[in-house]
Amino acid sequence: MNTFLHLIILVVFPPLLLGIIGKTKAFFAGKIGPPLLQTYYDLFKLMQKASVYSLTSNWIFKAAPMVCLSAIFAAGILMPIASFKAPVQFAGDLVFFVYLFALARFVTILAALDTGSSFEGMGASREATFGCLSEIAMFLDLTILALLAQKLSLSGIFLGGLASSWFLVGPVLILVVVSLFLLLLVENSRIPIDDPDTHLELTMIHEVMVLDHSGVDLAYIVYGKALKLFILGTLLISVIFTFRFHDHLMDTGFFIIEIMGLAVLIGIIESTMARLRMNKVPYLLLSAFIFSIIGFIVILLRGHS
Amino acid sequence: MNVWLDAILILVIILGLFIVASTRLGTTIQIFAAQSLILGTVPFFMYAHELEFFIVFVSIAAIVLRGFLMPKYLFWAIRHVSVRNEVSPYIGIGATLLLSAASIVGSFLLASKLTFPIKICSDMVIPSSFSLIIMGFILIVGRTKAISQVIGYLVLENGIFLFAILLLKKMPLLVEMGILLDLFIATVVMGIVVNNITDDFNITDTNELTTLKD
Repeated sequence: MNTFLHLIILVVFPPLLLGIIGKTKAFFAGKIGPPLLQTYYDLFKLMQKASVYSLTSNWIFKAAPMVCLSAIFAAGILMPIASFKAPVQFAGDLVFFVYLFALARFVTILAALDTGSSFEGMGASREATFGCLSEIAMFLDLTILALLAQKLSLSGIFLGGLASSWFLVGPVLILVVVSLFLLLLVENSRIPIDDPDTHLELTMIHEVMVLDHSGVDLAYIVYGKALKLFILGTLLISVIFTFRFHDHLMDTGFFIIEIMGLAVLIGIIESTMARLRMNKVPYLLLSAFIFSIIGFIVILLRGHS
Repeated sequence: MNVWLDAILILVIILGLFIVASTRLGTTIQIFAAQSLILGTVPFFMYAHELEFFIVFVSIAAIVLRGFLMPKYLFWAIRHVSVRNEVSPYIGIGATLLLSAASIVGSFLLASKLTFPIKICSDMVIPSSFSLIIMGFILIVGRTKAISQVIGYLVLENGIFLFAILLLKKMPLLVEMGILLDLFIATVVMGIVVNNITDDFNITDTNELTTLKD
């Protein structure tokens, strides 16, 4: 039953986050904006359409959206949501978790290269560069959490393992939170790094790689993007709010409020900041890495006392 | 273990990283001011239970001198010399950031190997002061503009100050004031040098200074 509820939240909720971000941005721009459920309508519409494939592309291009979506969904199954245990958990699943995102990124890059378009190749090269920088920081962050909780699975870490860490090593957890937040923005190509709304090919990263996908494939990609935002957001707020009521209804309610707050925060950042120049983005990733490495060193020095 | 002191020290290191990473002189000076302000409050946290008059005095002197007067003076200097940006540092920003990260890691490892004769309230004070000192050195070595190098020197002085706070009880006030005065004089001298450079050659790039011939 708990597994079932976990899956329902995981499947149903993510597109709403994109709607909330859109509404926040519309509020700051003084517009009404698209309805809150716009992403669901888009997905529904796209699912009914057929895909168009270029003659130069082969099966990789067709398989990529499915592989991408299933990899991200598999990562979601490893992640505990609110007080629901993850349906699948084993020691060391945090390594698997990071590599599932790497797999999703890898197939997206392959599909982009497969189209033979030079723009998509450019996006693929950027995604690969930023990806390899963000992965180190992600691993370090998860290592810190694993060291603190003395557990090697995500469910073990987030369901109780971190409960007293905020009082003991609060500063380190702040570093982890900042680093994870930067990673969240990078991984989901949100504004200081990449503008999800722009269609100027010279500056895009993620959007430019999926220009050639259409119909059902595009629906998979849009849904995968929302799911990725949801999962990484869950990771972030599980680190921030370690307190649990041990009552599924209360926990889920609070969880949904927290993640909606996160979406509003992303919306505020998107409306108040300009996109960084492309050559500054590695510095941002580097600082996420440095935050996590300082935290890591402090934890190593202190032990997990 | 004092969580608040740890938080402050981590904040100080991060502000140091921001100083190292930014190329705009105005921003650098502002961040330096913030860093000095925060550093000035460290004695209050460290000697919370045994607060004495001279400890308060040293903190307030540090806050006023380095948090307000020095930034103001530096702002006056950059207005006077009309330098805004560090255009082409010897060591690029990415490399500087990585070097600083390596220095932070190195100072934590080094400090964990050292033993100290006095009891230290937090084991993060010494590594933080080491990493501030090394970041100051990196700034002095890696930047071309004289003002950036002055800021590097001040960051180094902040590191030394942090180290000296540990010895505040043992060390007479005179030595403490000596550090502050030394810092003040150093900046004044550098400022005069900077201004003279501008008046004579209309340039503050030390790179050019080494290639001058008659």
